[in-house]
Amino acid sequence: MSEFVEECRREWRRLGVPDPIANEMAADLTADIEEAEAEGGSAEDVLGNSVFDPRRFAASWAGARGVTAPTLPDRPPMRRTVPAIALTAVAAFFALAAIALLIGRRGASAAVSVRGILGGPGSVRLFGPSPVSPAFRSFGFGPQFAGPLGWPFALLAVLILFAAMVALGLAALYWSRWSPWSRRGIQGMARGTGRTWWSKGSTR
Amino acid sequence: MAEAEGRRSQLLRGVLDICLLAVMGEGAAYGYEMTKRLRARGLSIVGEGSIYPLLGRLERDGLVETRRAASNGGPPRKYYSLSPEGERVLEAGKTEWQTTRDAVDGVLGLVKAEVMP
Repeated sequence: MSEFVEECRREWRRLGVPDPIANEMAADLTADIEEAEAEGGSAEDVLGNSVFDPRRFAASWAGARGVTAPTLPDRPPMRRTVPAIALTAVAAFFALAAIALLIGRRGASAAVSVRGILGGPGSVRLFGPSPVSPAFRSFGFGPQFAGPLGWPFALLAVLILFAAMVALGLAALYWSRWSPWSRRGIQGMARGTGRTWWSKGSTR
Repeated sequence: MAEAEGRRSQLLRGVLDICLLAVMGEGAAYGYEMTKRLRARGLSIVGEGSIYPLLGRLERDGLVETRRAASNGGPPRKYYSLSPEGERVLEAGKTEWQTTRDAVDGVLGLVKAEVMP
Protein backbone atom coordinates (compact mmCIF):
# COMPACT_ATOMS: atom_id res chain seq x y z
CA MET A 1 0.00 0.00 0.00
CA SER A 2 3.00 2.31 0.38
CA GLU A 3 2.96 2.36 -3.41
CA PHE A 4 -0.45 4.05 -3.22
CA VAL A 5 0.92 6.71 -0.87
CA GLU A 6 4.01 7.16 -3.02
CA GLU A 7 1.83 7.66 -6.07
CA CYS A 8 -0.10 10.30 -4.13
CA ARG A 9 3.15 12.00 -3.17
CA ARG A 10 4.23 12.16 -6.80
CA GLU A 11 0.93 13.73 -7.75
CA TRP A 12 1.14 16.28 -4.95
CA ARG A 13 4.67 17.16 -6.03
CA ARG A 14 3.47 17.60 -9.58
CA LEU A 15 0.66 19.86 -8.39
CA GLY A 16 3.02 22.01 -6.34
CA VAL A 17 1.67 21.06 -2.93
CA PRO A 18 4.16 22.34 -0.31
CA ASP A 19 6.20 19.54 1.25
CA PRO A 20 5.03 19.97 4.87
CA ILE A 21 1.40 19.66 3.81
CA ALA A 22 2.11 16.69 1.55
CA ASN A 23 3.99 14.99 4.38
CA GLU A 24 1.09 15.55 6.74
CA MET A 25 -1.46 14.09 4.31
CA ALA A 26 0.78 11.13 3.55
CA ALA A 27 1.27 10.41 7.27
CA ASP A 28 -2.49 10.52 7.96
CA LEU A 29 -3.19 8.29 5.01
CA THR A 30 -0.52 5.77 5.96
CA ALA A 31 -1.70 5.60 9.58
CA ASP A 32 -5.34 5.05 8.57
CA ILE A 33 -4.49 2.35 6.05
CA GLU A 34 -2.22 0.56 8.51
CA GLU A 35 -4.96 0.64 11.14
CA ALA A 36 -7.49 -0.82 8.71
CA GLU A 37 -5.07 -3.59 7.71
CA ALA A 38 -4.26 -4.32 11.35
CA GLU A 39 -7.99 -4.82 11.96
CA GLY A 40 -8.13 -7.35 9.15
CA GLY A 41 -9.49 -4.94 6.59
CA SER A 42 -7.96 -3.43 3.51
CA ALA A 43 -7.11 -0.07 2.06
CA GLU A 44 -10.45 -0.11 0.29
CA ASP A 45 -12.14 0.18 3.69
CA VAL A 46 -10.38 3.51 4.10
CA LEU A 47 -10.36 4.81 0.58
CA GLY A 48 -13.45 3.32 -1.01
CA ASN A 49 -13.18 3.02 -4.75
CA SER A 50 -10.50 5.73 -4.76
CA VAL A 51 -8.02 2.97 -4.05
CA PHE A 52 -7.99 2.21 -7.77
CA ASP A 53 -7.02 5.74 -8.84
CA PRO A 54 -4.39 7.26 -6.53
CA ARG A 55 -3.60 10.22 -8.75
CA ARG A 56 -7.20 11.31 -8.98
CA PHE A 57 -7.62 10.80 -5.26
CA ALA A 58 -4.52 12.85 -4.46
CA ALA A 59 -5.54 15.66 -6.78
CA SER A 60 -9.05 15.70 -5.38
CA TRP A 61 -7.84 15.87 -1.78
CA ALA A 62 -5.27 18.58 -2.42
CA GLY A 63 -7.75 20.57 -4.49
CA ALA A 64 -10.38 20.36 -1.76
CA ARG A 65 -7.89 21.66 0.77
CA GLY A 66 -6.84 24.43 -1.56
CA VAL A 67 -3.14 23.63 -1.36
CA THR A 68 -2.30 23.16 -5.02
CA ALA A 69 -0.31 25.74 -6.92
CA PRO A 70 -2.52 27.87 -9.12
CA THR A 71 -2.48 27.08 -12.80
CA LEU A 72 -0.94 29.92 -14.67
CA PRO A 73 -2.94 30.99 -17.70
CA ASP A 74 -1.96 29.32 -20.95
CA ARG A 75 -2.42 32.59 -22.71
CA PRO A 76 -0.97 35.63 -21.01
CA PRO A 77 -3.53 38.34 -20.35
CA MET A 78 -3.50 41.27 -22.74
CA ARG A 79 -2.45 43.60 -19.92
CA ARG A 80 0.83 41.68 -19.63
CA THR A 81 1.25 40.96 -23.31
CA VAL A 82 1.36 44.60 -24.40
CA PRO A 83 4.64 45.48 -22.69
CA ALA A 84 6.23 42.28 -23.94
CA ILE A 85 5.21 43.03 -27.53
CA ALA A 86 6.31 46.66 -27.19
CA LEU A 87 9.71 45.66 -25.84
CA THR A 88 10.16 43.13 -28.62
CA ALA A 89 9.27 45.75 -31.22
CA VAL A 90 11.68 48.28 -29.68
CA ALA A 91 14.42 45.66 -29.56
CA ALA A 92 13.85 44.75 -33.18
CA PHE A 93 13.83 48.41 -34.23
CA PHE A 94 17.07 49.23 -32.42
CA ALA A 95 18.75 46.08 -33.66
CA LEU A 96 17.82 46.79 -37.26
CA ALA A 97 18.87 50.43 -36.93
CA ALA A 98 22.23 49.47 -35.48
CA ILE A 99 22.85 46.82 -38.11
CA ALA A 100 21.86 49.20 -40.88
CA LEU A 101 24.23 51.84 -39.55
CA LEU A 102 27.13 49.46 -39.17
CA ILE A 103 26.62 47.77 -42.52
CA GLY A 104 25.98 51.11 -44.17
CA ARG A 105 29.22 52.52 -42.83
CA ARG A 106 31.11 49.46 -43.90
CA GLY A 107 29.64 49.66 -47.39
CA ALA A 108 30.32 53.36 -47.69
CA SER A 109 33.81 52.89 -46.39
CA ALA A 110 34.48 50.12 -48.88
CA ALA A 111 33.10 52.18 -51.77
CA VAL A 112 35.21 55.19 -50.92
CA SER A 113 38.25 52.97 -50.46
CA VAL A 114 37.85 51.55 -53.93
CA ARG A 115 37.71 55.04 -55.30
CA GLY A 116 40.83 55.83 -53.32
CA ILE A 117 42.65 52.87 -54.85
CA LEU A 118 41.56 53.90 -58.29
CA GLY A 119 42.85 57.40 -57.60
CA GLY A 120 39.52 59.20 -57.78
CA PRO A 121 39.79 62.87 -56.93
CA GLY A 122 38.94 63.79 -53.39
CA SER A 123 38.00 60.31 -52.43
CA VAL A 124 40.63 59.93 -49.77
CA ARG A 125 39.69 63.30 -48.29
CA LEU A 126 36.29 61.91 -47.51
CA PHE A 127 37.95 59.74 -44.90
CA GLY A 128 39.88 62.64 -43.56
CA PRO A 129 43.56 62.44 -42.80
CA SER A 130 44.24 58.84 -42.14
CA PRO A 131 47.54 57.03 -42.12
CA VAL A 132 45.81 53.78 -43.07
CA SER A 133 46.21 52.69 -46.63
CA PRO A 134 43.03 52.52 -48.77
CA ALA A 135 43.45 48.77 -49.26
CA PHE A 136 43.56 48.18 -45.52
CA ARG A 137 40.51 50.39 -45.05
CA SER A 138 38.55 48.13 -47.36
CA PHE A 139 38.99 45.06 -45.20
CA GLY A 140 39.93 46.19 -41.73
CA PHE A 141 37.40 46.91 -39.02
CA GLY A 142 38.83 49.92 -37.22
CA PRO A 143 39.40 52.26 -40.10
CA GLN A 144 35.97 51.59 -41.57
CA PHE A 145 34.40 53.60 -38.74
CA ALA A 146 36.44 56.57 -39.65
CA GLY A 147 33.92 57.61 -42.25
CA PRO A 148 32.54 60.97 -43.25
CA LEU A 149 30.94 61.54 -39.83
CA GLY A 150 33.82 60.06 -37.86
CA TRP A 151 33.83 58.14 -34.61
CA PRO A 152 30.70 59.71 -33.03
CA PHE A 153 28.71 58.09 -35.79
CA ALA A 154 30.12 54.66 -35.02
CA LEU A 155 29.66 55.25 -31.32
CA LEU A 156 26.00 56.03 -31.94
CA ALA A 157 25.61 52.73 -33.79
CA VAL A 158 27.18 50.83 -30.92
CA LEU A 159 24.93 52.58 -28.39
CA ILE A 160 21.85 51.73 -30.43
CA LEU A 161 23.02 48.14 -30.61
CA PHE A 162 23.46 48.11 -26.85
CA ALA A 163 19.94 49.51 -26.40
CA ALA A 164 18.66 46.77 -28.69
CA MET A 165 20.32 44.12 -26.60
CA VAL A 166 18.85 45.55 -23.37
CA ALA A 167 15.36 45.71 -24.88
CA LEU A 168 15.76 42.18 -26.21
CA GLY A 169 16.77 40.93 -22.77
CA LEU A 170 13.76 42.58 -21.12
CA ALA A 171 11.45 41.20 -23.80
CA ALA A 172 12.86 37.70 -23.27
CA LEU A 173 12.29 38.11 -19.52
CA TYR A 174 8.66 39.06 -20.09
CA TRP A 175 7.97 36.19 -22.49
CA SER A 176 9.75 33.63 -20.30
CA ARG A 177 7.26 34.28 -17.49
CA TRP A 178 4.74 32.15 -19.37
CA SER A 179 7.11 29.39 -20.34
CA PRO A 180 6.75 25.87 -18.83
CA TRP A 181 10.23 26.25 -17.40
CA SER A 182 9.14 29.33 -15.53
CA ARG A 183 6.11 27.54 -14.06
CA ARG A 184 8.25 24.71 -12.75
CA GLY A 185 10.62 27.24 -11.29
CA ILE A 186 7.88 29.02 -9.39
CA GLN A 187 6.49 25.78 -8.05
CA GLY A 188 9.93 24.57 -7.10
CA MET A 189 10.56 27.75 -5.17
CA ALA A 190 7.26 27.36 -3.38
CA ARG A 191 8.22 23.83 -2.32
CA GLY A 192 11.59 24.99 -1.14
CA THR A 193 10.08 27.42 1.34
CA GLY A 194 7.39 25.01 2.44
CA ARG A 195 4.82 27.64 1.63
CA THR A 196 2.92 28.65 -1.41
CA TRP A 197 4.26 31.77 -3.09
CA TRP A 198 0.80 33.11 -3.80
CA SER A 199 -0.33 32.95 -0.18
CA LYS A 200 2.38 33.13 2.42
CA GLY A 201 -0.02 32.38 5.24
CA SER A 202 -1.35 29.18 3.74
CA THR A 203 -0.02 26.15 5.54
CA ARG A 204 -3.15 24.07 5.47
CA MET B 1 -28.29 -3.42 -9.25
CA ALA B 2 -25.77 -0.99 -10.70
CA GLU B 3 -28.58 1.48 -11.28
CA ALA B 4 -29.60 1.31 -7.63
CA GLU B 5 -26.00 1.79 -6.51
CA GLY B 6 -25.62 4.76 -8.78
CA ARG B 7 -28.74 6.42 -7.37
CA ARG B 8 -27.67 5.68 -3.82
CA SER B 9 -24.29 7.18 -4.56
CA GLN B 10 -25.89 10.33 -5.94
CA LEU B 11 -28.17 10.66 -2.92
CA LEU B 12 -25.35 10.12 -0.47
CA ARG B 13 -23.10 12.62 -2.18
CA GLY B 14 -25.51 15.38 -1.33
CA VAL B 15 -25.62 14.65 2.40
CA LEU B 16 -22.26 13.07 3.17
CA ASP B 17 -20.87 16.34 4.48
CA ILE B 18 -23.78 16.59 6.93
CA CYS B 19 -23.21 12.98 7.96
CA LEU B 20 -19.55 13.68 8.62
CA LEU B 21 -20.40 16.74 10.68
CA ALA B 22 -22.89 14.61 12.61
CA VAL B 23 -20.37 11.91 13.53
CA MET B 24 -17.87 14.60 14.48
CA GLY B 25 -20.55 15.98 16.79
CA GLU B 26 -20.22 12.77 18.81
CA GLY B 27 -16.63 13.64 19.53
CA ALA B 28 -13.41 14.54 17.78
CA ALA B 29 -12.25 11.84 15.38
CA TYR B 30 -9.57 11.16 12.79
CA GLY B 31 -10.32 10.14 9.22
CA TYR B 32 -10.60 6.37 9.50
CA GLU B 33 -12.41 6.65 12.83
CA MET B 34 -15.14 8.63 11.10
CA THR B 35 -15.35 6.02 8.38
CA LYS B 36 -15.92 3.38 11.05
CA ARG B 37 -18.59 5.45 12.78
CA LEU B 38 -20.43 5.86 9.49
CA ARG B 39 -20.15 2.15 8.78
CA ALA B 40 -21.50 1.32 12.24
CA ARG B 41 -24.67 3.15 11.21
CA GLY B 42 -24.92 1.26 7.95
CA LEU B 43 -23.32 3.90 5.77
CA SER B 44 -20.48 2.29 3.87
CA ILE B 45 -18.29 4.51 1.73
CA VAL B 46 -16.84 1.64 -0.29
CA GLY B 47 -18.72 2.64 -3.39
CA GLU B 48 -18.59 6.36 -2.73
CA GLY B 49 -14.90 7.07 -2.65
CA SER B 50 -12.92 8.53 0.17
CA ILE B 51 -13.97 11.02 2.81
CA TYR B 52 -10.60 12.82 2.79
CA PRO B 53 -11.38 15.34 0.05
CA LEU B 54 -14.63 16.14 1.82
CA LEU B 55 -12.82 16.62 5.12
CA GLY B 56 -10.41 18.92 3.31
CA ARG B 57 -13.27 21.03 2.01
CA LEU B 58 -14.92 21.20 5.43
CA GLU B 59 -11.62 22.33 6.90
CA ARG B 60 -11.09 24.93 4.20
CA ASP B 61 -14.61 26.26 4.74
CA GLY B 62 -14.01 26.60 8.47
CA LEU B 63 -16.67 24.08 9.46
CA VAL B 64 -14.23 21.91 11.38
CA GLU B 65 -11.31 22.50 13.68
CA THR B 66 -8.27 20.27 13.64
CA ARG B 67 -5.57 19.31 16.07
CA ARG B 68 -2.84 16.73 15.96
CA ALA B 69 -2.73 14.30 18.86
CA ALA B 70 -1.47 10.83 19.63
CA SER B 71 -3.91 8.02 19.01
CA ASN B 72 -4.20 4.86 21.09
CA GLY B 73 -0.75 3.38 20.74
CA GLY B 74 -0.46 4.60 17.17
CA PRO B 75 1.16 7.51 15.43
CA PRO B 76 -0.14 11.07 15.92
CA ARG B 77 -3.37 11.63 14.05
CA LYS B 78 -5.23 14.63 12.84
CA TYR B 79 -8.43 14.95 14.83
CA TYR B 80 -11.40 16.79 13.42
CA SER B 81 -14.09 18.43 15.54
CA LEU B 82 -17.00 20.72 14.87
CA SER B 83 -16.41 24.45 14.80
CA PRO B 84 -19.23 26.80 15.85
CA GLU B 85 -19.94 27.44 12.18
CA GLY B 86 -19.94 23.68 11.60
CA GLU B 87 -22.54 23.21 14.33
CA ARG B 88 -24.75 25.82 12.69
CA VAL B 89 -24.39 24.19 9.28
CA LEU B 90 -25.14 20.77 10.80
CA GLU B 91 -28.38 21.98 12.33
CA ALA B 92 -29.40 23.66 9.09
CA GLY B 93 -28.49 20.51 7.17
CA LYS B 94 -30.64 18.31 9.42
CA THR B 95 -33.62 20.57 8.84
CA GLU B 96 -33.06 20.59 5.08
CA TRP B 97 -32.75 16.81 5.02
CA GLN B 98 -35.93 16.26 6.99
CA THR B 99 -37.84 18.69 4.82
CA THR B 100 -36.58 17.08 1.64
CA ARG B 101 -37.13 13.55 2.93
CA ASP B 102 -40.72 14.33 3.94
CA ALA B 103 -41.44 15.89 0.59
CA VAL B 104 -39.98 12.96 -1.33
CA ASP B 105 -41.81 10.49 0.89
CA GLY B 106 -45.04 12.34 0.11
CA VAL B 107 -44.40 12.16 -3.61
CA LEU B 108 -43.48 8.51 -3.51
CA GLY B 109 -46.55 7.68 -1.40
CA LEU B 110 -44.58 6.42 1.57
CA VAL B 111 -46.52 8.74 3.87
CA LYS B 112 -50.28 8.77 3.60
CA ALA B 113 -51.71 12.22 3.44
CA GLU B 114 -53.98 13.03 6.26
CA VAL B 115 -57.56 13.42 5.04
CA MET B 116 -59.76 15.75 6.94
CA PRO B 117 -63.19 14.20 7.72
